[in-house]
Amino acid sequence: MKIALLGNPGAGKSLIFNQLTGLGIEVNRYPGSSVCLECGNVCYKKEKIEIVDLPGIYSLDGSSEEEILVRKFLEQGGADVIVAVLDATKLERNLYLFTQVTEFSPKLIAVVNMIDEAERQGLIIDVDNLSSCLGITVLLTAASEGRDIDRILPLALGSARVATLQVPYDHHIEAALKSLEKTLGAPRYKSLLALQGTGEDRMLLDAAGAVAHEIELRHRMSVRQIIATNRHNLSRKIAASAVRQGDRKKTYDLDSLLTRVFPGVPILIAILFFLLLTVFVIGSWMQELIVQTFTTYIILPFTALELPPLIERIGFSVLIALEAGLGIAFPFIFTFYIGLSLLEDTGYMTRAAFLADRAMHRLGLHGEAIIPMVIGFGCTVPAVMSLRILKTRREQTIAAFLISMIPCSARMVVIAGVVAAFVGIFWAFSIYFIVFILIILTAIVLSRITPGEQFGMIVEMSALRRPQAHLVLAKSWLRIKEFLFIAMPILIITSIALGLFQYFGLTDAFQQLVAPITVTLLGLPEYASTALLFGVFRKELAFETLAVLSGTADLGSVMTSVQLYTFAIVSVLFIPCISTIAVLYRQLGARIAILVSVYTVFLGLTIGAIINMLVK
Amino acid sequence: MQPSQREDYLEAIQQYPEKNGHPPRYEDLAAALGKSESEVRSDMKDLVSSGDVSLLPEGVITLTGQGRQTGESVIKKHETLQCFLSEILGMDTSSASDEACTLEHAVSDETIDRLGQLIVKQDSARKVRGVEDNCQCPSISDCAEGDNVIIHCIHGRACAKRLLDLGMVPGERASIKRKLSNGALVVQVKGCDVALSPEIASAIGVERSS
Repeated sequence: MKIALLGNPGAGKSLIFNQLTGLGIEVNRYPGSSVCLECGNVCYKKEKIEIVDLPGIYSLDGSSEEEILVRKFLEQGGADVIVAVLDATKLERNLYLFTQVTEFSPKLIAVVNMIDEAERQGLIIDVDNLSSCLGITVLLTAASEGRDIDRILPLALGSARVATLQVPYDHHIEAALKSLEKTLGAPRYKSLLALQGTGEDRMLLDAAGAVAHEIELRHRMSVRQIIATNRHNLSRKIAASAVRQGDRKKTYDLDSLLTRVFPGVPILIAILFFLLLTVFVIGSWMQELIVQTFTTYIILPFTALELPPLIERIGFSVLIALEAGLGIAFPFIFTFYIGLSLLEDTGYMTRAAFLADRAMHRLGLHGEAIIPMVIGFGCTVPAVMSLRILKTRREQTIAAFLISMIPCSARMVVIAGVVAAFVGIFWAFSIYFIVFILIILTAIVLSRITPGEQFGMIVEMSALRRPQAHLVLAKSWLRIKEFLFIAMPILIITSIALGLFQYFGLTDAFQQLVAPITVTLLGLPEYASTALLFGVFRKELAFETLAVLSGTADLGSVMTSVQLYTFAIVSVLFIPCISTIAVLYRQLGARIAILVSVYTVFLGLTIGAIINMLVK
Repeated sequence: MQPSQREDYLEAIQQYPEKNGHPPRYEDLAAALGKSESEVRSDMKDLVSSGDVSLLPEGVITLTGQGRQTGESVIKKHETLQCFLSEILGMDTSSASDEACTLEHAVSDETIDRLGQLIVKQDSARKVRGVEDNCQCPSISDCAEGDNVIIHCIHGRACAKRLLDLGMVPGERASIKRKLSNGALVVQVKGCDVALSPEIASAIGVERSS
């Protein structure tokens, strides 16, 4: 038995999903796409039931990855029962998607969620009326309070049926649907998609294309518009008969502060600054704790075992990788994710996107791009994964370059450990300053030369809500799990490779080989090249390796301030870490991954060389 | 029977179910074409023998494969001609339709194909120039914060889909909740707030309402 939750973004699907399944969630990547499907199993009346949380979408006709995935899921009958989750406060708009779902004729029940919020707004929903309009069972729930969530499973198993609702389309469209069914035997939903130019059946597309053209000539309106209007009209009719507006309590509208340039923009900057500061303070404290514990209780006992050298080397590499993963993932990235989930759950992120739209336009992007950028301050890997929300290849490419340059929390460690500690806090900030200038310059150049069209921002503002601690934690936990899943194997493999590299004495050869660059061009000691190489593995390792190779933790005594400064800026700019390159490759293809790597290497070396020359 | 008469019959039989939801009988055809029922009956016999029409019990008339092909091609000719006469030559719709009824029987397939291409070309040329040329309504980005509007049209195809899904269809009411100095908007439509970039806002044509 398989049940899938389907609905608009922000309708509370994930919340319901979490409450139905607890935290036993597997994240499955759908074959051939980068969209994740969350699945969980529950036991109900001694039967195993698999629950799938489909990604939130506004429509089934579109061409975004999420829409295609859900469409295929429905077409293939991916679930025995679909639970359509509708937002009670936006019922009319949510019914639009519902009218499309019924065309695939799955077995359905409807869950009208956020009834608590609707009550607060004075909306009264007539369940019986709605149920008879839709022709299926309707359940009112309030997921944030857990109200009636336990009734979903019994209803889904007991009284799901195919909805009787059918959209009455314009008579030309209906005639076209009938003739396509008669001539090609195409089902209604397929013909509707074909009329809008979507589908794989060439015959059907050609036939539908010809009819669509005639309809468009006659109506002076695109078929898409006609179909959408028909669906919206039906949704409005249903909503009008099922929802009554009672007394509305007047509440203070926070948006009058948050979405204006003043004080909205200062608030935005303050929030982002506070987020990074918190992550930094909590992160460095926790990292020290974890690394110390790990070294004392695991690494030292392991080295005390005195295993054969090769095995010891490999084992040591694995342990170091684990330590690195835990030492960076939990303190920095997990803390950051909590902050990020807070921003999302309160609904602030969409306001940030709105306010940032203007600045982002200058960079050849638009408001929504602020989300990957902010994530990039935590860790580049999930930031690259979130590039999906940008709609054009052009924007994804530009943003990929910029994100790879944003100082992530690991690079923050290098800046703090090398520059802030030995050169001065002011110089540490100057690195940020230089990096930001370079990011802006890169963006300006890229927005000129990257081919493709610019797509603007169309973002639904999510309602402002009070976040709930356990939900924020659950969301962050899910994200950190996904991060570990991707980054951990790469960390371990590269760590072993580098361990063997050292074991066979290749480090010296490498240092000799690149000495002209390190010593002559950058003015750094020879061993710095190995530290930079380790930085590719994970950024803050550049700092730790430098300390190991120079033979002292007091870097100020072995390198000059200029050398330390050059080293920090080169390792910050220089090539993104190996995990980033891997996700870039997966998300955007080999070409972009190589271009980004080459560009950042070039940039790092150039800036390092310039600093070196200026000082000479 | 005249070829033009045959084509008129086939056209009528083909179109009848689309308009009325069931295939025609003798009396329906007679009414649609303004002829007497007996005349229709005798003509149908000719059409059955030429293999265009098959008669079902109770006087229901349907087309054979051959008949449907001819019928469809006549309808296409009619529509192309009517579109040409009204859209490009600027005749009013009803006289364009009458004229097309006469011309459709004499015109060759090639002429129709070329006319069709011309119409598509003109149509896309108009779209490239921007539909704004013939759409006089102001764009939503010209409105001020707090204005209530009715959406009139959406230009440009790239962004149209998402706007339609969010309920921004022609005829829908919307109100402008926030406008920044660069023209970015928060528009309330169907009870939801939607943030729009300036370039997207400028593609939405509206009428002001009170």
